[in-house]
Amino acid sequence: MSQAAVTGGELRRIVRINEEIKSVVATAFKINLMAMNAIFLAKRAGQAALGFSVLSNELRRFATDLQQQMEVLRQMTHGSVASVTALVKTERLNRLVERMRSEVSGQARAIIDRYLRNRQTTSFVLHEEAIATQNRRLGQTIADTAQLVELGSVLARSAKIEAAYGGSFSAALMQVSSDFERTIAEIHRSLEQLSRHQD
Amino acid sequence: MKTAQVIYENGDHRWLAIVRDPDRPGYLIDTNEYLVSIGDEAILLDPGGSEIFPSVFSALCAEYDPRRISKIFASHQDPDIISSLSMWMEFNPDIKCYISWLWTGFVPHFGGTDETFIPIPDPGMDIPVGRERLRAVPAHYLHSSGNLNLYDPKARILFSGDIGAALLPPGESGLFVENFDRHIAHAEAFHRRWMGSERAKRDWCARVADMDVDMLCPQHGAIYRGDDVRRFIDWFAQLDVGAVKS
Repeated sequence: MSQAAVTGGELRRIVRINEEIKSVVATAFKINLMAMNAIFLAKRAGQAALGFSVLSNELRRFATDLQQQMEVLRQMTHGSVASVTALVKTERLNRLVERMRSEVSGQARAIIDRYLRNRQTTSFVLHEEAIATQNRRLGQTIADTAQLVELGSVLARSAKIEAAYGGSFSAALMQVSSDFERTIAEIHRSLEQLSRHQD
Repeated sequence: MKTAQVIYENGDHRWLAIVRDPDRPGYLIDTNEYLVSIGDEAILLDPGGSEIFPSVFSALCAEYDPRRISKIFASHQDPDIISSLSMWMEFNPDIKCYISWLWTGFVPHFGGTDETFIPIPDPGMDIPVGRERLRAVPAHYLHSSGNLNLYDPKARILFSGDIGAALLPPGESGLFVENFDRHIAHAEAFHRRWMGSERAKRDWCARVADMDVDMLCPQHGAIYRGDDVRRFIDWFAQLDVGAVKS
């Protein structure tokens, strides 16, 4: 595969990651609104929904944490684009120098050989290493996010249990907690996609 | 990193301005890039220099899926306009670049092949984007000898390239012109020096005065809207251009 195909593929991978980030951010925004409505509903339900209210507050915090986590991922992809750009520039320069090398001989070629050796053992490798490091960090952050989303799932399940004690509001609270569960499952799917783009 | 801000939205017809990078090194001139998306297709206007590609690409990704960009419009040949072309070609080798016919032999030094470029003739041409047609409007010698603006008749927005540009001092980073008199002071020296032809300037002013323009979007500085568009045309019409300040 040519270097252009590799770097182009890397940029397209970054775009796919960003598309999932946008999807998670939109879902987190939805959870935040749902949690706010759930808090109002729990207030109306009174004493019977105290536990549900606490969990709704936690789900709001979860949504905010998730949005922050997505911002961290977004910043990381920005770093990846910068590294790919640097790699492309280095590769382009190397290609030009290689062409120049093929057109000269003797002392001039020796000078170019020395220059090429230096470049290949410094900048090119450094850029590739930077991309590999950024990818590892990205993978770690996605894994951390998966743990956070697991916490969101636990909160949604607990809200479902609390809804059963909601007295006359039980059915309404149950509906809300099921919506939470379904929405958080969407995030799980996005994270699976993110992990796949990471491979 | 830059940010992408929606400046026009009507259903699936949107204009995004990609602006203001707080991390930009001081030795690089600040630039505005614009994206026009209509339905499933988009055109990127003056995508910028290769140095700012990461910032433009990342900002764009936050608001739009760049895989849907099939066209690039370059108002002219300068490096701060189009030297990122090679990066866009890496991302999508099928992307087409619309530029004045004058530059189709020069800009490939930045990237692209003979299949990349669609030459725009001097009188301009229509460029289809989604179900609409945008119009490349001649602005030759303002400042480049092969120079074009891009007009969106539905949105009534004119992308004016270097015309209307202002070099804003630190702290004045608003997206829109809020105080015309104060703003235009930052545009004056730029226009006197870069706009090379009095006649071309008069032609452009007459042409644009006849168009319905709600927003005039330059490649540097802030966007003119509403009455400020007319104020700018009047100001430019009376400005003495093409002279080095002694």
